[in-house]
Amino acid sequence: MAVADQARTQASVSRKPALAWEGVTYRLVSVLLMIAVWQAISLLVSPKYVPGPMSTVMAVAKHAASGALWGHFLATIVRMVSSFALAMIVGVAAGILMGLFRRGEQMLDLWVMVGLTIPGLCYVIVSFLWLGLNDRAAILAISWTTFPSIAINIWQGVKAIDQRLVDMARVFRASRWRRTVRVVLPQVLPYLMAATRFGLGVVWKVTVLVELLGRSDGIGYMLNYSFQMFNMADVFAWTLSFTVFMVIIELGILKPLERKLFRWRPEISG
Amino acid sequence: MATITIDIISKLFRSRAYPEGLLSLDNIRFGVADREFVCLVGPSGCGKSTVLNLIGGLDRNYTGRIEIDSRPLSHDGSHPVRVGYVFQEPRLLPWLTVRKNIYFALESIGVPHSEWRQRTETWLEKVGLAGFGDSHPHELSGGMQQRSAIARAFAVDPEILLMDEPFSGLDELTARSMRQQILELWDTTRKTVLFVTHNSFEASYLADRILVMSPRPGRLRQEMKVELPRPRNYESSQLFEFSVQVTRLLTHGGNGM
Repeated sequence: MAVADQARTQASVSRKPALAWEGVTYRLVSVLLMIAVWQAISLLVSPKYVPGPMSTVMAVAKHAASGALWGHFLATIVRMVSSFALAMIVGVAAGILMGLFRRGEQMLDLWVMVGLTIPGLCYVIVSFLWLGLNDRAAILAISWTTFPSIAINIWQGVKAIDQRLVDMARVFRASRWRRTVRVVLPQVLPYLMAATRFGLGVVWKVTVLVELLGRSDGIGYMLNYSFQMFNMADVFAWTLSFTVFMVIIELGILKPLERKLFRWRPEISG
Repeated sequence: MATITIDIISKLFRSRAYPEGLLSLDNIRFGVADREFVCLVGPSGCGKSTVLNLIGGLDRNYTGRIEIDSRPLSHDGSHPVRVGYVFQEPRLLPWLTVRKNIYFALESIGVPHSEWRQRTETWLEKVGLAGFGDSHPHELSGGMQQRSAIARAFAVDPEILLMDEPFSGLDELTARSMRQQILELWDTTRKTVLFVTHNSFEASYLADRILVMSPRPGRLRQEMKVELPRPRNYESSQLFEFSVQVTRLLTHGGNGM
């Protein structure tokens, strides 16, 4: 069949490599360059104001050895995880309401915008004033700040659902459940992923702020403490250690998950 | 065995510009006999796709009655007659391979799992896509995607096949070979086909009978039996002359078009 032959030659089957280690050489070079620049700046300015990589790592090691690192890490992570979960539940619900129903959009879009505009600091102060200097207030403030950006992502995702695919499923008599799980959800998944990434970034930034203002443990508290002591090496150490932690989450969980979920996507070359 | 009886009294199109509703279909009455190939032809905007949507159950907001095999089209999708649908675009789920796309339709419509593989391979082969089951839609050309959609529609073994300008997005050469193919498939399976197009040559080449529609509101203007012998030849002058007649009907005196 001539058509089939033509078709066969037309298909250029190119799959995205499953390897997460692609381009690892250049990433490594980039990291090494960054460390070199850091070292250079430290030497040029003064190791007192800009501690170099070596002394920063030493400071991290010191806190790890004393056990302080793990306790503060745990406190911060518990706050982050519970706030993120709460923000996700509220944000996804609001996003779906706004995406599916015009009334929902009209009722909520202003408040999501307002929520996004008000600085996290305001929520933090208000929460502490209402609930006192405790973890309930901390979690309320963090999730409050985070949920608008999650809601916006989900809102966009729900609005971008291709109704034509849903109609296709309907003519083949897919049940409502099947249409939701097999046709709608996969379309929203990239937005859910974006919401997660965005949300985690916001959660982390607000958590540190909350700890600085009203808690007596966590990375934010230790940052403030080091600042009071004017201990630059410790400021760098706490920042670095948590940054590494976040990078590990990104490269170890989010990226591989994304690759697994969206492997079907065409490679964007540019 | 499957016949379609359509008796649409009216279909209103509501929008912000027409809060009262704009009459988009007016008194559309026709039948499609078992194993018949009927083309619904009309200029764009005449509501021909709307007719298909109503039969396919995608739009339930109309006055009138649609019967398949003398049973009114149920509104819950539990009608015993299987309908295969080919849209203007392939409408494949982009995250599934071609094979899994067909499985999706088979599973949705309730075909037993044991038959999926056999049916899918058979139809991929018949549309000339043997060996492409594991490709994702974006790895295929537009024509191949549309052929996957045709394989999907046939694989559910429908009694009725609804096709909504399935070749209008393809280049003429691909469209030609696919028209030929669809006729071969129809010849061996003898489905009841209702095919929507704005292309009078395409309609003349394919159909047993052509229904010409006029726009605003959508009405049936004329019915034409295509008495040309099958298999039909693209180069035949009779076919060409017939299609000119259809075109004339489409353009002649059409409400100031």
